[in-house]
Amino acid sequence: MNQADVSKLVSKLRIRVPAEPRKLRNIKGPEGRIDKLRKTVTGLIKYERIELNSNRGQEARQYAERLISEAIRHGDCHKPTMDIADYWLLEKELIHKLFKVLVPRFQDSNTCYTRLLNAPRIIHSRNPDKVILELKGNPYPVLGSNKMNNRFLIQNVLLDAAKYDYRQAKYAEFAKKIVNKEEKIDTTETEAPSIEKQQSDDKLTQS
Amino acid sequence: MSLAIRRTTELIGAAKWFLRRDSRVLSTLPEKVEEPPAELTSKRYRRRFFQNEAILETRHAYPEFLPDPNPNWRNSLREKLERADMLERRSQIDIPEFYVGSVLAVTISDPHAQSKTNRFVGICIERKGCGLRAEFTLRNVVDHQGLEVRYDLYDPTIQSIQVLRLEKRLDDKLFYLRDALPEYSTFSFDMDPEILPEGTPIPVNPVQVKLKPRPWLERWERQELKGVSNIEEHLKEKDRVRRELRKTPWEKYDLMKQYRKTIPIEDQSKIWAEVHNQLQQLQMARKKSARKRTFTTPKTQLG
Repeated sequence: MNQADVSKLVSKLRIRVPAEPRKLRNIKGPEGRIDKLRKTVTGLIKYERIELNSNRGQEARQYAERLISEAIRHGDCHKPTMDIADYWLLEKELIHKLFKVLVPRFQDSNTCYTRLLNAPRIIHSRNPDKVILELKGNPYPVLGSNKMNNRFLIQNVLLDAAKYDYRQAKYAEFAKKIVNKEEKIDTTETEAPSIEKQQSDDKLTQS
Repeated sequence: MSLAIRRTTELIGAAKWFLRRDSRVLSTLPEKVEEPPAELTSKRYRRRFFQNEAILETRHAYPEFLPDPNPNWRNSLREKLERADMLERRSQIDIPEFYVGSVLAVTISDPHAQSKTNRFVGICIERKGCGLRAEFTLRNVVDHQGLEVRYDLYDPTIQSIQVLRLEKRLDDKLFYLRDALPEYSTFSFDMDPEILPEGTPIPVNPVQVKLKPRPWLERWERQELKGVSNIEEHLKEKDRVRRELRKTPWEKYDLMKQYRKTIPIEDQSKIWAEVHNQLQQLQMARKKSARKRTFTTPKTQLG
Protein backbone atom coordinates (compact mmCIF):
# COMPACT_ATOMS: atom_id res chain seq x y z
CA MET A 1 0.00 0.00 0.00
CA ASN A 2 2.61 2.49 -1.08
CA GLN A 3 2.02 5.65 -2.96
CA ALA A 4 3.71 5.79 -6.34
CA ASP A 5 6.63 8.17 -6.57
CA VAL A 6 5.53 11.04 -8.82
CA SER A 7 8.74 13.06 -8.86
CA LYS A 8 10.14 11.23 -11.91
CA LEU A 9 8.57 9.97 -15.12
CA VAL A 10 9.92 6.81 -16.71
CA SER A 11 9.02 5.03 -19.94
CA LYS A 12 7.59 1.58 -19.63
CA LEU A 13 10.01 -1.28 -20.20
CA ARG A 14 9.04 -3.77 -22.86
CA ILE A 15 10.35 -6.71 -20.83
CA ARG A 16 8.79 -8.44 -17.86
CA VAL A 17 10.06 -6.90 -14.64
CA PRO A 18 10.05 -9.14 -11.57
CA ALA A 19 8.61 -7.60 -8.39
CA GLU A 20 11.81 -8.03 -6.40
CA PRO A 21 15.39 -7.33 -7.47
CA ARG A 22 17.89 -10.20 -7.32
CA LYS A 23 20.73 -10.09 -4.86
CA LEU A 24 23.96 -10.87 -6.65
CA ARG A 25 26.18 -12.46 -4.09
CA ASN A 26 29.29 -10.44 -3.22
CA ILE A 27 31.23 -9.11 -0.26
CA LYS A 28 30.38 -5.43 -0.63
CA GLY A 29 26.62 -5.79 -0.46
CA PRO A 30 24.31 -3.55 -2.49
CA GLU A 31 27.17 -1.39 -3.71
CA GLY A 32 29.02 -4.44 -4.99
CA ARG A 33 25.88 -5.60 -6.75
CA ILE A 34 25.59 -2.35 -8.65
CA ASP A 35 29.32 -2.47 -9.47
CA LYS A 36 28.91 -5.94 -10.97
CA LEU A 37 25.94 -4.78 -13.01
CA ARG A 38 27.85 -1.72 -14.22
CA LYS A 39 30.61 -3.95 -15.56
CA THR A 40 28.06 -6.18 -17.29
CA VAL A 41 26.10 -3.31 -18.84
CA THR A 42 29.32 -1.72 -20.08
CA GLY A 43 30.33 -5.05 -21.61
CA LEU A 44 26.95 -5.44 -23.27
CA ILE A 45 27.06 -1.98 -24.83
CA LYS A 46 30.65 -2.56 -25.93
CA TYR A 47 30.48 -6.10 -27.39
CA GLU A 48 26.73 -6.24 -28.15
CA ARG A 49 26.65 -9.96 -27.28
CA ILE A 50 27.94 -11.53 -24.07
CA GLU A 51 27.60 -14.83 -22.22
CA LEU A 52 26.73 -14.63 -18.52
CA ASN A 53 25.45 -16.59 -15.60
CA SER A 54 21.68 -16.64 -15.73
CA ASN A 55 20.78 -14.46 -12.73
CA ARG A 56 23.33 -11.79 -13.53
CA GLY A 57 22.21 -11.75 -17.15
CA GLN A 58 18.55 -11.32 -16.22
CA GLU A 59 19.37 -8.51 -13.82
CA ALA A 60 21.75 -6.70 -16.17
CA ARG A 61 19.19 -6.85 -18.95
CA GLN A 62 16.75 -4.69 -16.98
CA TYR A 63 19.39 -2.07 -16.30
CA ALA A 64 20.53 -2.02 -19.93
CA GLU A 65 16.93 -1.59 -21.08
CA ARG A 66 16.40 1.24 -18.63
CA LEU A 67 19.60 2.98 -19.70
CA ILE A 68 18.67 2.85 -23.38
CA SER A 69 15.08 3.95 -22.75
CA GLU A 70 16.30 6.93 -20.67
CA ALA A 71 18.72 7.85 -23.46
CA ILE A 72 15.91 7.67 -26.03
CA ARG A 73 13.48 9.64 -23.87
CA HIS A 74 15.74 12.53 -22.87
CA GLY A 75 18.50 12.63 -25.51
CA ASP A 76 22.07 13.78 -24.93
CA CYS A 77 21.27 17.37 -23.89
CA HIS A 78 19.69 16.31 -20.59
CA LYS A 79 22.12 16.64 -17.69
CA PRO A 80 20.71 13.91 -15.35
CA THR A 81 20.60 11.39 -18.21
CA MET A 82 24.21 12.24 -19.06
CA ASP A 83 25.16 11.65 -15.41
CA ILE A 84 23.41 8.29 -15.44
CA ALA A 85 25.16 7.27 -18.66
CA ASP A 86 28.46 8.44 -17.20
CA TYR A 87 27.88 6.30 -14.11
CA TRP A 88 26.76 3.16 -15.90
CA LEU A 89 29.28 3.13 -18.75
CA LEU A 90 32.74 2.61 -17.32
CA GLU A 91 34.44 3.27 -20.66
CA LYS A 92 33.64 6.82 -21.60
CA GLU A 93 33.74 6.39 -25.38
CA LEU A 94 30.69 4.15 -25.00
CA ILE A 95 28.62 7.20 -23.99
CA HIS A 96 29.03 8.40 -27.58
CA LYS A 97 28.03 4.97 -28.82
CA LEU A 98 24.91 5.01 -26.64
CA PHE A 99 23.65 8.36 -27.89
CA LYS A 100 24.90 8.26 -31.49
CA VAL A 101 24.54 4.60 -32.43
CA LEU A 102 22.05 2.88 -30.12
CA VAL A 103 19.50 5.69 -29.78
CA PRO A 104 19.01 6.02 -33.58
CA ARG A 105 18.95 2.22 -33.86
CA PHE A 106 16.19 1.73 -31.28
CA GLN A 107 14.24 5.01 -31.62
CA ASP A 108 11.43 3.60 -33.75
CA SER A 109 11.43 0.11 -32.31
CA ASN A 110 8.21 -1.22 -30.81
CA THR A 111 9.80 -4.06 -28.89
CA CYS A 112 12.52 -4.43 -26.29
CA TYR A 113 16.10 -3.53 -27.12
CA THR A 114 17.86 -6.66 -25.90
CA ARG A 115 17.48 -10.39 -26.35
CA LEU A 116 18.16 -13.01 -23.70
CA LEU A 117 18.70 -16.60 -24.79
CA ASN A 118 19.51 -19.70 -22.79
CA ALA A 119 22.93 -21.06 -23.61
CA PRO A 120 23.41 -24.81 -24.07
CA ARG A 121 24.14 -26.59 -20.82
CA ILE A 122 26.80 -29.22 -20.35
CA ILE A 123 25.08 -32.38 -19.13
CA HIS A 124 26.03 -33.58 -15.61
CA SER A 125 28.07 -30.44 -15.02
CA ARG A 126 27.79 -28.44 -11.84
CA ASN A 127 28.12 -25.11 -13.61
CA PRO A 128 25.34 -22.56 -13.19
CA ASP A 129 22.91 -21.93 -16.02
CA LYS A 130 24.32 -19.70 -18.71
CA VAL A 131 22.50 -17.16 -20.81
CA ILE A 132 23.45 -15.07 -23.80
CA LEU A 133 22.52 -11.41 -23.62
CA GLU A 134 22.67 -9.38 -26.80
CA LEU A 135 21.57 -6.05 -28.20
CA LYS A 136 19.12 -6.33 -31.04
CA GLY A 137 20.42 -5.35 -34.45
CA ASN A 138 23.97 -6.51 -33.71
CA PRO A 139 26.29 -7.46 -36.58
CA TYR A 140 26.82 -11.09 -35.49
CA PRO A 141 25.15 -14.14 -37.05
CA VAL A 142 21.71 -14.99 -35.70
CA LEU A 143 21.49 -17.25 -32.66
CA GLY A 144 18.87 -19.84 -31.93
CA SER A 145 16.81 -21.63 -34.56
CA ASN A 146 18.20 -20.64 -37.94
CA LYS A 147 15.21 -19.91 -40.09
CA MET A 148 17.25 -17.78 -42.50
CA ASN A 149 16.82 -18.44 -46.22
CA ASN A 150 20.16 -20.05 -47.12
CA ARG A 151 19.40 -20.70 -50.78
CA PHE A 152 21.69 -17.84 -51.77
CA LEU A 153 24.76 -19.01 -49.90
CA ILE A 154 27.56 -19.53 -52.45
CA GLN A 155 27.87 -23.26 -51.72
CA ASN A 156 24.17 -23.77 -52.34
CA VAL A 157 24.21 -21.68 -55.52
CA LEU A 158 27.13 -23.74 -56.87
CA LEU A 159 25.47 -27.02 -55.86
CA ASP A 160 22.22 -25.95 -57.54
CA ALA A 161 24.09 -25.04 -60.71
CA ALA A 162 25.89 -28.40 -60.68
CA LYS A 163 22.59 -30.27 -60.19
CA TYR A 164 21.04 -28.32 -63.06
CA ASP A 165 23.95 -29.13 -65.35
CA TYR A 166 23.81 -32.80 -64.40
CA ARG A 167 20.08 -32.98 -65.11
CA GLN A 168 20.43 -31.23 -68.42
CA ALA A 169 23.11 -33.70 -69.42
CA LYS A 170 20.87 -36.62 -68.38
CA TYR A 171 17.86 -35.23 -70.34
CA ALA A 172 20.03 -34.83 -73.42
CA GLU A 173 21.15 -38.43 -73.04
CA PHE A 174 17.53 -39.69 -72.72
CA ALA A 175 16.44 -37.65 -75.70
CA LYS A 176 19.27 -39.09 -77.74
CA LYS A 177 18.30 -42.65 -76.74
CA ILE A 178 14.63 -42.10 -77.63
CA VAL A 179 15.49 -40.63 -81.02
CA ASN A 180 17.74 -43.57 -81.75
CA LYS A 181 14.95 -46.07 -80.79
CA GLU A 182 12.33 -44.33 -83.03
CA GLU A 183 14.69 -44.40 -85.95
CA LYS A 184 15.18 -48.17 -85.46
CA ILE A 185 11.38 -48.76 -85.28
CA ASP A 186 10.73 -46.74 -88.43
CA THR A 187 13.14 -48.81 -90.38
CA THR A 188 11.74 -52.23 -89.19
CA GLU A 189 7.87 -51.79 -89.07
CA THR A 190 5.29 -51.01 -91.89
CA GLU A 191 2.96 -47.95 -91.69
CA ALA A 192 -0.53 -49.63 -92.14
CA PRO A 193 -1.14 -51.11 -88.63
CA SER A 194 -0.06 -47.92 -87.01
CA ILE A 195 -2.75 -45.91 -88.87
CA GLU A 196 -5.50 -48.37 -87.84
CA LYS A 197 -4.38 -48.09 -84.27
CA GLN A 198 -4.62 -44.29 -84.43
CA GLN A 199 -8.19 -44.40 -85.79
CA SER A 200 -9.37 -46.75 -83.05
CA ASP A 201 -7.83 -44.41 -80.50
CA ASP A 202 -9.75 -41.42 -81.96
CA LYS A 203 -13.07 -43.30 -81.69
CA LEU A 204 -12.42 -44.11 -78.09
CA THR A 205 -11.78 -40.49 -77.23
CA GLN A 206 -14.97 -39.32 -79.05
CA SER A 207 -17.23 -41.80 -77.24
CA MET B 1 -34.18 12.43 -41.19
CA SER B 2 -32.31 9.25 -42.04
CA LEU B 3 -29.65 11.36 -43.73
CA ALA B 4 -29.21 13.41 -40.61
CA ILE B 5 -28.93 10.25 -38.51
CA ARG B 6 -26.37 8.82 -40.86
CA ARG B 7 -24.38 12.02 -40.72
CA THR B 8 -24.39 12.01 -36.93
CA THR B 9 -23.30 8.36 -36.85
CA GLU B 10 -20.50 9.24 -39.25
CA LEU B 11 -19.45 12.06 -36.97
CA ILE B 12 -19.51 9.75 -33.98
CA GLY B 13 -17.48 7.21 -35.92
CA ALA B 14 -14.93 9.88 -36.79
CA ALA B 15 -14.75 10.98 -33.16
CA LYS B 16 -14.29 7.38 -32.06
CA TRP B 17 -11.55 6.92 -34.62
CA PHE B 18 -9.84 10.04 -33.38
CA LEU B 19 -10.15 8.99 -29.75
CA ARG B 20 -8.81 5.54 -30.49
CA ARG B 21 -5.85 6.99 -32.33
CA ASP B 22 -5.25 9.46 -29.56
CA SER B 23 -5.32 6.87 -26.84
CA ARG B 24 -2.91 4.76 -28.80
CA VAL B 25 -0.21 7.42 -28.77
CA LEU B 26 1.54 6.17 -25.71
CA SER B 27 0.65 2.53 -25.73
CA THR B 28 3.74 0.38 -25.71
CA LEU B 29 3.05 -1.80 -28.68
CA PRO B 30 1.18 -0.13 -31.52
CA GLU B 31 0.05 -2.65 -34.14
CA LYS B 32 2.18 -1.11 -36.84
CA VAL B 33 4.24 1.97 -37.41
CA GLU B 34 2.21 4.65 -39.18
CA GLU B 35 3.98 6.85 -41.67
CA PRO B 36 2.02 9.98 -42.59
CA PRO B 37 3.96 12.90 -44.14
CA ALA B 38 6.75 14.22 -41.94
CA GLU B 39 5.35 17.73 -41.42
CA LEU B 40 1.97 16.40 -40.32
CA THR B 41 3.41 13.84 -37.93
CA SER B 42 5.63 16.35 -36.19
CA LYS B 43 2.73 18.81 -35.71
CA ARG B 44 0.29 16.19 -34.57
CA TYR B 45 2.88 14.49 -32.45
CA ARG B 46 3.83 17.76 -30.76
CA ARG B 47 0.21 18.64 -29.99
CA ARG B 48 -0.44 15.21 -28.53
CA PHE B 49 2.80 15.33 -26.62
CA PHE B 50 1.91 18.65 -24.96
CA GLN B 51 -1.66 17.53 -24.24
CA ASN B 52 -0.26 14.44 -22.63
CA GLU B 53 2.29 16.42 -20.62
CA ALA B 54 -0.52 18.63 -19.29
CA ILE B 55 -2.53 15.57 -18.27
CA LEU B 56 0.49 14.02 -16.58
CA GLU B 57 0.98 17.12 -14.44
CA THR B 58 -2.18 16.09 -12.56
CA ARG B 59 -0.10 13.46 -10.78
CA HIS B 60 1.34 15.94 -8.28
CA ALA B 61 -2.05 17.08 -7.02
CA TYR B 62 -3.78 13.66 -6.96
CA PRO B 63 -1.08 11.04 -6.34
CA GLU B 64 -3.55 8.62 -4.75
CA PHE B 65 -5.18 7.96 -8.12
CA LEU B 66 -2.07 6.05 -9.18
CA PRO B 67 -2.03 2.40 -8.14
CA ASP B 68 0.53 0.72 -5.95
CA PRO B 69 3.75 0.24 -7.91
CA ASN B 70 4.29 -3.26 -6.50
CA PRO B 71 3.07 -5.62 -9.26
CA ASN B 72 2.14 -8.27 -6.70
CA TRP B 73 -0.54 -5.98 -5.31
CA ARG B 74 -1.95 -4.79 -8.60
CA ASN B 75 -5.44 -5.63 -9.74
CA SER B 76 -6.64 -3.60 -12.68
CA LEU B 77 -10.34 -4.19 -12.03
CA ARG B 78 -10.12 -3.26 -8.34
CA GLU B 79 -8.11 -0.16 -9.21
CA LYS B 80 -10.69 0.93 -11.75
CA LEU B 81 -13.57 0.45 -9.34
CA GLU B 82 -11.68 2.31 -6.64
CA ARG B 83 -11.05 5.24 -8.97
CA ALA B 84 -14.76 5.39 -9.77
CA ASP B 85 -15.58 5.35 -6.05
CA MET B 86 -13.04 8.06 -5.36
CA LEU B 87 -14.57 10.31 -8.00
CA GLU B 88 -18.00 9.55 -6.56
CA ARG B 89 -16.82 10.59 -3.12
CA ARG B 90 -15.19 13.71 -4.51
CA SER B 91 -18.51 14.70 -6.07
CA GLN B 92 -20.09 14.45 -2.60
CA ILE B 93 -17.60 16.51 -0.61
CA ASP B 94 -14.95 18.94 -1.72
CA ILE B 95 -11.53 17.30 -1.30
CA PRO B 96 -9.13 20.11 -2.21
CA GLU B 97 -5.63 19.92 -3.61
CA PHE B 98 -3.03 19.91 -0.84
CA TYR B 99 0.54 18.83 -0.27
CA VAL B 100 2.80 17.80 2.56
CA GLY B 101 3.44 21.05 4.42
CA SER B 102 -0.02 22.55 3.81
CA VAL B 103 -2.12 23.55 6.81
CA LEU B 104 -5.54 21.88 6.81
CA ALA B 105 -8.71 21.95 8.86
CA VAL B 106 -10.64 18.67 8.91
CA THR B 107 -14.13 18.28 10.32
CA ILE B 108 -15.35 14.77 11.04
CA SER B 109 -18.59 13.60 12.54
CA ASP B 110 -17.98 12.38 16.07
CA PRO B 111 -20.90 10.84 17.98
CA HIS B 112 -19.20 11.43 21.33
CA ALA B 113 -18.60 15.14 20.88
CA GLN B 114 -21.19 17.56 22.14
CA SER B 115 -21.68 19.22 18.77
CA LYS B 116 -21.45 15.80 17.01
CA THR B 117 -18.54 17.13 15.00
CA ASN B 118 -14.83 17.41 15.66
CA ARG B 119 -12.62 19.95 13.92
CA PHE B 120 -8.86 19.59 13.91
CA VAL B 121 -6.32 21.97 12.44
CA GLY B 122 -2.77 20.97 11.71
CA ILE B 123 0.09 20.78 9.25
CA CYS B 124 0.10 17.80 6.91
CA ILE B 125 3.27 15.86 7.69
CA GLU B 126 2.68 12.83 5.51
CA ARG B 127 0.58 11.58 2.61
CA LYS B 128 0.46 7.87 2.19
CA GLY B 129 -1.33 5.02 0.48
CA CYS B 130 -3.19 4.79 -2.78
CA GLY B 131 -6.74 4.30 -3.95
CA LEU B 132 -9.52 4.43 -1.41
CA ARG B 133 -7.02 3.75 1.38
CA ALA B 134 -5.13 7.02 0.86
CA GLU B 135 -4.43 8.76 4.14
CA PHE B 136 -2.80 11.87 5.50
CA THR B 137 -1.55 12.90 8.92
CA LEU B 138 -2.07 16.28 10.57
CA ARG B 139 0.13 17.55 13.36
CA ASN B 140 -0.46 20.38 15.80
CA VAL B 141 0.61 21.34 19.29
CA VAL B 142 -2.29 22.00 21.69
CA ASP B 143 -1.61 23.01 25.28
CA HIS B 144 2.10 22.12 24.95
CA GLN B 145 1.11 18.64 23.85
CA GLY B 146 1.98 17.43 20.36
CA LEU B 147 -1.02 15.87 18.61
CA GLU B 148 -1.14 13.90 15.43
CA VAL B 149 -4.31 12.69 13.77
CA ARG B 150 -4.31 10.33 10.83
CA TYR B 151 -7.29 10.67 8.51
CA ASP B 152 -8.38 8.51 5.61
CA LEU B 153 -8.83 10.83 2.69
CA TYR B 154 -12.01 9.07 1.51
CA ASP B 155 -13.43 8.38 4.96
CA PRO B 156 -17.23 8.82 4.82
CA THR B 157 -17.26 10.38 8.30
CA ILE B 158 -15.25 13.34 7.06
CA GLN B 159 -17.58 16.29 6.67
CA SER B 160 -15.20 18.83 5.21
CA ILE B 161 -11.56 19.36 4.41
CA GLN B 162 -10.44 22.95 4.21
CA VAL B 163 -7.01 24.14 3.13
CA LEU B 164 -5.98 27.05 5.34
CA ARG B 165 -2.55 27.56 3.84
CA LEU B 166 -1.59 25.91 0.57
CA GLU B 167 2.17 25.44 0.36
CA LYS B 168 4.91 22.85 0.10
CA ARG B 169 7.98 22.33 2.27
CA LEU B 170 11.51 21.39 1.34
CA ASP B 171 11.04 17.72 2.25
CA ASP B 172 8.60 14.99 1.25
CA LYS B 173 7.87 13.98 4.83
CA LEU B 174 7.91 16.23 7.89
CA PHE B 175 8.33 13.69 10.66
CA TYR B 176 11.20 15.78 12.02
CA LEU B 177 8.62 18.25 13.34
CA ARG B 178 8.14 15.76 16.19
CA ASP B 179 11.65 16.51 17.40
CA ALA B 180 11.57 20.19 16.44
CA LEU B 181 10.73 23.08 18.70
CA PRO B 182 6.95 23.21 19.27
CA GLU B 183 6.52 26.61 17.62
CA TYR B 184 7.13 25.04 14.19
CA SER B 185 4.08 22.82 14.48
CA THR B 186 1.74 25.12 16.39
CA PHE B 187 -1.23 26.45 14.46
CA SER B 188 -4.18 28.25 15.98
CA PHE B 189 -7.59 26.66 15.47
CA ASP B 190 -9.20 29.93 14.37
CA MET B 191 -6.72 30.50 11.57
CA ASP B 192 -8.13 32.28 8.53
CA PRO B 193 -7.74 30.57 5.16
CA GLU B 194 -5.14 32.26 2.99
CA ILE B 195 -6.38 32.51 -0.58
CA LEU B 196 -3.77 32.30 -3.33
CA PRO B 197 -4.39 34.33 -6.48
CA GLU B 198 -5.49 32.12 -9.39
CA GLY B 199 -2.82 30.62 -11.61
CA THR B 200 0.09 31.02 -9.19
CA PRO B 201 2.34 27.99 -8.78
CA ILE B 202 2.25 26.31 -5.36
CA PRO B 203 4.69 28.26 -3.14
CA VAL B 204 7.48 26.37 -1.42
CA ASN B 205 8.08 27.44 2.16
CA PRO B 206 11.87 27.50 2.66
CA VAL B 207 11.64 27.53 6.46
CA GLN B 208 14.29 25.46 8.22
CA VAL B 209 13.23 24.18 11.62
CA LYS B 210 15.38 23.93 14.74
CA LEU B 211 15.57 20.53 16.41
CA LYS B 212 15.43 20.01 20.15
CA PRO B 213 18.52 18.39 21.70
CA ARG B 214 18.74 14.62 21.68
CA PRO B 215 17.34 12.01 22.31
CA TRP B 216 15.49 11.98 18.97
CA LEU B 217 12.87 9.63 17.59
CA GLU B 218 14.89 8.91 14.46
CA ARG B 219 18.45 9.40 13.23
CA TRP B 220 17.64 12.60 11.37
CA GLU B 221 21.27 13.21 10.45
CA ARG B 222 21.26 10.21 8.11
CA GLN B 223 18.20 11.30 6.13
CA GLU B 224 19.67 14.24 4.17
CA LEU B 225 16.90 16.61 5.27
CA LYS B 226 16.76 20.06 3.71
CA GLY B 227 14.30 21.57 6.16
CA VAL B 228 16.44 21.30 9.31
CA SER B 229 18.98 23.99 10.16
CA ASN B 230 20.80 22.94 13.34
CA ILE B 231 21.39 19.21 12.96
CA GLU B 232 25.20 19.51 13.15
CA GLU B 233 25.04 21.14 16.59
CA HIS B 234 23.71 18.00 18.20
CA LEU B 235 26.02 15.47 16.56
CA LYS B 236 29.07 13.83 18.06
CA GLU B 237 32.10 12.77 16.04
CA LYS B 238 30.87 9.16 16.27
CA ASP B 239 27.57 10.09 14.54
CA ARG B 240 29.35 11.90 11.71
CA VAL B 241 31.56 8.88 11.05
CA ARG B 242 28.61 6.52 11.06
CA ARG B 243 26.66 8.83 8.76
CA GLU B 244 29.52 8.67 6.27
CA LEU B 245 29.59 4.87 6.52
CA ARG B 246 25.86 4.58 6.01
CA LYS B 247 25.68 6.77 2.91
CA THR B 248 24.34 5.12 -0.24
CA PRO B 249 25.42 7.34 -3.13
CA TRP B 250 24.77 4.59 -5.69
CA GLU B 251 21.04 4.54 -5.03
CA LYS B 252 20.66 7.74 -7.04
CA TYR B 253 21.77 5.74 -10.10
CA ASP B 254 19.85 2.55 -9.34
CA LEU B 255 17.59 2.73 -12.37
CA MET B 256 15.50 -0.30 -11.51
CA LYS B 257 14.93 0.85 -7.94
CA GLN B 258 13.44 4.07 -9.30
CA TYR B 259 11.44 2.11 -11.85
CA ARG B 260 9.97 -0.17 -9.18
CA LYS B 261 8.83 2.85 -7.17
CA THR B 262 6.91 4.59 -9.96
CA ILE B 263 4.18 3.91 -12.45
CA PRO B 264 5.50 4.24 -16.02
CA ILE B 265 4.19 7.03 -18.28
CA GLU B 266 2.24 4.71 -20.54
CA ASP B 267 0.22 3.32 -17.62
CA GLN B 268 -0.14 6.73 -15.99
CA SER B 269 -1.48 8.44 -19.08
CA LYS B 270 -4.17 5.77 -19.40
CA ILE B 271 -5.27 6.42 -15.82
CA TRP B 272 -5.20 10.20 -16.16
CA ALA B 273 -7.10 10.05 -19.44
CA GLU B 274 -9.78 8.17 -17.51
CA VAL B 275 -10.12 10.57 -14.56
CA HIS B 276 -8.69 13.89 -15.81
CA ASN B 277 -11.95 15.26 -17.25
CA GLN B 278 -13.99 14.60 -14.14
CA LEU B 279 -11.31 16.01 -11.87
CA GLN B 280 -11.20 19.11 -14.05
CA GLN B 281 -14.98 19.51 -13.82
CA LEU B 282 -14.89 19.15 -10.04
CA GLN B 283 -12.17 21.79 -9.89
CA MET B 284 -14.24 24.17 -12.05
CA ALA B 285 -17.25 23.65 -9.81
CA ARG B 286 -15.12 24.41 -6.77
CA LYS B 287 -13.82 27.61 -8.36
CA LYS B 288 -17.37 28.74 -9.17
CA SER B 289 -18.53 28.15 -5.62
CA ALA B 290 -15.44 29.98 -4.32
CA ARG B 291 -16.33 33.00 -6.46
CA LYS B 292 -19.86 32.95 -5.10
CA ARG B 293 -18.53 32.97 -1.54
CA THR B 294 -19.89 35.96 0.36
CA PHE B 295 -17.33 38.44 1.49
CA THR B 296 -16.76 38.55 5.22
CA THR B 297 -14.60 41.05 7.05
CA PRO B 298 -11.53 39.36 8.46
CA LYS B 299 -11.42 38.76 12.17
CA THR B 300 -9.37 41.17 14.20
CA GLN B 301 -6.20 39.46 15.34
CA LEU B 302 -5.62 40.20 18.99
CA GLY B 303 -2.13 40.08 20.45
